[in-house]
Amino acid sequence: MTHKYYEFFCPVKVIAGKSALEHIPYELTGLAAKRPMIVTDKGVRAAGLLDPVIAACEESGLEIVTIYDDVPPDSSTTVVRDIAGIYRQEKCDSIIAVGGGSAIDTGKAVNILVSEGGDDIAKYSGAGVIKHPLKPFFVVPTTAGTGSEVTAVAVITDETKGVKLPFTSSFLLPNAAIIDPRMTLTLPPHITAATAMDAMTHAVEAFTCMAKNPLSDAYATAAVKKVSQSLLSVMDNPKDVDGRLEIAQASTMAGIAFSNSMVGLVHALGHATGAICHLPHGLCMSLYLPYVLEYNLETIREPLGDLLLPLEGPEVFSATPAARRAEASISALRKLRDQLHKRCQLPRTLKETGKVTEDQLDQIAEMALDDGAIMFNPKEVSLDDARAVLQRAWA
Amino acid sequence: MLAKRIQPMVSQARSLYVELMFQVMGRALQAVSEVDDAVKKETQALPAGFLFEMMVMPDGPRLIVEHTGLGRLHYHGDSAPRPVDLSIQFKHIAHAFLVLSFQEKTAVAFANDRMLVDGDISYAVRMTRILNRLESFILPRLIAERAVKEYPSDLHLPQKLISAVRIYLKVATNFVETVRA
Ligand SMILES: [Fe+2]
Repeated sequence: MTHKYYEFFCPVKVIAGKSALEHIPYELTGLAAKRPMIVTDKGVRAAGLLDPVIAACEESGLEIVTIYDDVPPDSSTTVVRDIAGIYRQEKCDSIIAVGGGSAIDTGKAVNILVSEGGDDIAKYSGAGVIKHPLKPFFVVPTTAGTGSEVTAVAVITDETKGVKLPFTSSFLLPNAAIIDPRMTLTLPPHITAATAMDAMTHAVEAFTCMAKNPLSDAYATAAVKKVSQSLLSVMDNPKDVDGRLEIAQASTMAGIAFSNSMVGLVHALGHATGAICHLPHGLCMSLYLPYVLEYNLETIREPLGDLLLPLEGPEVFSATPAARRAEASISALRKLRDQLHKRCQLPRTLKETGKVTEDQLDQIAEMALDDGAIMFNPKEVSLDDARAVLQRAWA
Repeated sequence: MLAKRIQPMVSQARSLYVELMFQVMGRALQAVSEVDDAVKKETQALPAGFLFEMMVMPDGPRLIVEHTGLGRLHYHGDSAPRPVDLSIQFKHIAHAFLVLSFQEKTAVAFANDRMLVDGDISYAVRMTRILNRLESFILPRLIAERAVKEYPSDLHLPQKLISAVRIYLKVATNFVETVRA
């Protein structure tokens, strides 16, 4: 391509591996933070995931000043305002978000309010509104999939207006992402599978969509390899610490890849399906991935063929003629989905979900066409195209 | 300012070209929304009174159109009657030139971080589709293929020819009207 150009940015310090949590006190002190607040949800607390975080800090003489553990699955402007109030009242000076996408997004939004001032988070909605660095902010992901610990975006629902407010700024990125296998060890099988497939989709879309670039390609292929090699063994042996760490790292790497090269039609369809049928995001990703790749096939034959190496390993890759590799990559992903279906009934078609009716497909198609992710899909998508993909994903 | 001394002609020509293309596109958007059903349908999903702006940062040429309702677009020239609802902003005049001289597809320019969206992304997606449709209408097929991701399959030659002529005519009369006014 003659006018090829790209940008790549990820200033997040990644702290990964066994005993990673124990690095939090040192890292906080390095940013002159002494009074951290934890933002999390009830599920994380009930699973006992806060205990090692608190213990790690207290053993170093760092007191967690306050814990907010009531972040709902769809965080709202009211929740953000309330948490910011507690942060100020308790004179905190830093935030540690522990949880999945919602807790992390809430942490990002709270950080805007406590750093920029005011009670109205809606005021900061949009792109590039924030012009200054925010307070020290750490993220401890407890699901390996969303990649939110390395994205510069947060989405918060404005209940009064019934709209989702997007916030984009590189200042939303945390100072550090702490990837500790203890955090994902107790994740139930179907969530392990769905979130790992979200990470897989991030990597595959980052590698095949329009904004792909050499740096995000490197992260994407490495993430595909880690998920392919470790997901099934973790499904069979949930306490496999090494495997858990591999998946957690893959999720972060896939997050770095897609936040620099965007996602495509799988996400556009997935966002719409999530909104209309209330299906979990990761499940939608796993479901649509092969059908969208088949739709895009002729546009992405070369990069998709290259993914056969991280998906299936060198033997299969070299035994497959170059002209057949793209199809073989799709088969590899289908095979993985069949295995996941066998182990935890992760649905492979819309019908299998039991939560979608055939007459909702048109509505999903129309909504997907308005999704930002569709802009970066390598092949143009019309309403009829989207309908056809949905029809194939139906049963 | 150094660059201006070195390449005064190039930079001036580029700026003039972008300004002229914005004018042609503005008029063409208005015209195409009157004759093309696909554009009308896309536009109808925008709220009435919706103001769309395409501009070059920091304060370069700009194009403003309004959805006046029923899928019709109205070209406002380079000044908006009130704050715009959606703004697509080129980071530099050079990037605007790449896109408006059809060397870089609109979607690629987005992917390459050449421009920013200020406003609702779903509206930006819709406007990009409208601009793609417009480009395939007003440009010869060879150039249009370079400018859009995929040339619409429902744009057959006779229809395209007839429509293009109508659009060119409308653009021309609009120019004349502006001169007279
Ligand atoms: Fe995702």
